[in-house]
Amino acid sequence: MKRLILIITIVGLSYVFMQSNNILNISAGVAIFLFGMLSLEEGFRSFAGGILEGVLKKFTNKQYKSILFGAITTSIMQSSSLVSIISISFISAGLISLAQGIGIIFGANIGTTTGAWLIAGFGLKVDIAKYAMPMLVFGTIFMFQSSKKAKGLGYILAGLGFLFLGIAYMKEGFDAFKASIDLTQFSVDGIKGVLLFTFIGILATVVMQSSHATLVLIITALAANQITYENALALAIGSNVGTTITAVIGSLTAGLEGKKLATAHVLFNVVTGIIAILFINQFIKVVELTAGVLHVAQDDYTLKLAIFHTYFNVLGVALMYPFISTLVTQLNKIFKKKASVGAEESDDVRFINDIALDFPDTAHKVLIKETRHLYYNAFDIISRGLSVYKEDITSGMEVDDIIALRNEPLHVDLEELYEKRIKDIYGKIINFAILAQGKFGEDVIRDIVPIKNANISIVEAIKATKHMQKNMIKYLGSNNEYIKEQYNHIRKNLIKHLRSMQVIFNSSEEDVAILLLSKLKFDAKKYDIAANKALDNLIRNNQVPYSMATSLMNDTTYAFNIASQLTEVASTLFVHQDKNLREEREALILNNADIAKMSNSATKEVAI
Amino acid sequence: MSGGRFIRKMQGLFGISPAGDKSKEKAIKELIEKLKERKKLLRKELETTTDIRQRESLKDSIKIIKKQIDKGKDIL
Repeated sequence: MKRLILIITIVGLSYVFMQSNNILNISAGVAIFLFGMLSLEEGFRSFAGGILEGVLKKFTNKQYKSILFGAITTSIMQSSSLVSIISISFISAGLISLAQGIGIIFGANIGTTTGAWLIAGFGLKVDIAKYAMPMLVFGTIFMFQSSKKAKGLGYILAGLGFLFLGIAYMKEGFDAFKASIDLTQFSVDGIKGVLLFTFIGILATVVMQSSHATLVLIITALAANQITYENALALAIGSNVGTTITAVIGSLTAGLEGKKLATAHVLFNVVTGIIAILFINQFIKVVELTAGVLHVAQDDYTLKLAIFHTYFNVLGVALMYPFISTLVTQLNKIFKKKASVGAEESDDVRFINDIALDFPDTAHKVLIKETRHLYYNAFDIISRGLSVYKEDITSGMEVDDIIALRNEPLHVDLEELYEKRIKDIYGKIINFAILAQGKFGEDVIRDIVPIKNANISIVEAIKATKHMQKNMIKYLGSNNEYIKEQYNHIRKNLIKHLRSMQVIFNSSEEDVAILLLSKLKFDAKKYDIAANKALDNLIRNNQVPYSMATSLMNDTTYAFNIASQLTEVASTLFVHQDKNLREEREALILNNADIAKMSNSATKEVAI
Repeated sequence: MSGGRFIRKMQGLFGISPAGDKSKEKAIKELIEKLKERKKLLRKELETTTDIRQRESLKDSIKIIKKQIDKGKDIL
């Protein structure tokens, strides 16, 4: 079906282009403009990603600042769609709250009005194509540089060049039209006209996925008197509603919070559109008054359109601003988070999204969060492998009591759980980390590689649990109390280990986490059953046959692997959680050499 | 906002930290202080604990903290 529509469109357009050179000019102008938008967005993503994150962190702590941030960034980047998509990405990554995201979207709607002012006040008043040419040349030179920043700057310059060139082509096309055809004969008056042209505006923006392109088209057509002022206003309203399509598409791959933000965006733009339609006559009167105050010429309808566009967006924000918290509450009610993914249900990534790959800090945060998510799934699986439940471990129950309560083996298919709750998430995290490694500089890679390795450790720990589980089930149901006791000993140690991990993840006290991480490494010696003579005693006293003894030996090695892999995970997530404190934290956690020294001195003390 | 504060804000914003080493030193000092406090708490706990296993664990923790404090001091 899609292919058929594409073929019909191409054939139809080809026919129209053969018939009219002016339509070809206008369409080429739109195409060049859209290409410019793509180039500009690409440039801003690679050029300003890090800066944007920095500004976002510092300037969105208050609602009005979020609005200001949205307005300024949109004014600079000239793309509300890009700002919406970035906001959805940030919100999905948990960098900003829904209320802050809504603030940014509101601001972006105000920021987008600067585009109309620039085109009407500057784009149509000067020979814009003249500025386009040097920008294209310099932009291309920069694009061929190896530095990412230079490349980004090149994309921005070339993008601006294409935007200007596109506007010039559209202007030329509509100007030439004047001589041959008067498109205003297709104008529709009254409310019918408002509704019809609003719909056309929505449609055009949905197709082009850029309200800016629609606005340029409207303004250039208006400047050439090819549409009436009233119909142009309706088209502008439509473009404002239609622009939400990009956010909706962007939210499809985003998390729940991203979907909430996209809904808020649609809601805001639709409500603003309805208000503008209902009070269009009042708006026109206020615009006339303002135009008089600003000394805008009586027949300069393009600037009047810019005033109108600004008014209805600012009014929309003013009207909706007091209801942001209500909107957040309602959205939270509508988009309810699943209580939790059932232990048997398939699970997928929650934070990873493609846009995060454009922003180094966001990519880092997303990776940390998703790794934690993977760890929590692994925590559940490893617990079951030990024939207990994660709730037992997180409860305040004594470890001996947990063992007494869960004295029967738990028959769980760990392979199935791995397939459902680990494999996909793990694959996506590794894929994301590899892509991020290729995109960012050395300093970012230094943070990403250990997190990637932590994910590998999580999977290694699950694999070790799976190997251990077979004997664990067998011997927990055994009549031989000695072997049962040994396996319960492994269970106790690993339960304590998992408990300490939970404390490290949830504690806000840095020193506690640093101490526990070192202690986890120090306690690893508990697993060395050969060194602590327990195994020798079991065999010498004929308490377990050699087959059981070898199983126990192997399984203590698996238990040691689980513990050390998980310690690595906890250590990496704690150290790399805060980039600014990474080195300090890393320096104070005891490494294997420190632990070995301590253990040796302890042994010497005992020997003396 | 004073000029200095503005410059520091901007430097932070663009990821330029001229006083990187100083802030690192400060962070380690703070961490050492926290660890010292923790050591005091654990010692008090050791005085009141009678359970042998618990006492062993506390002794290990105190030993680890001592080592961590020494490491921190070496860095400074």
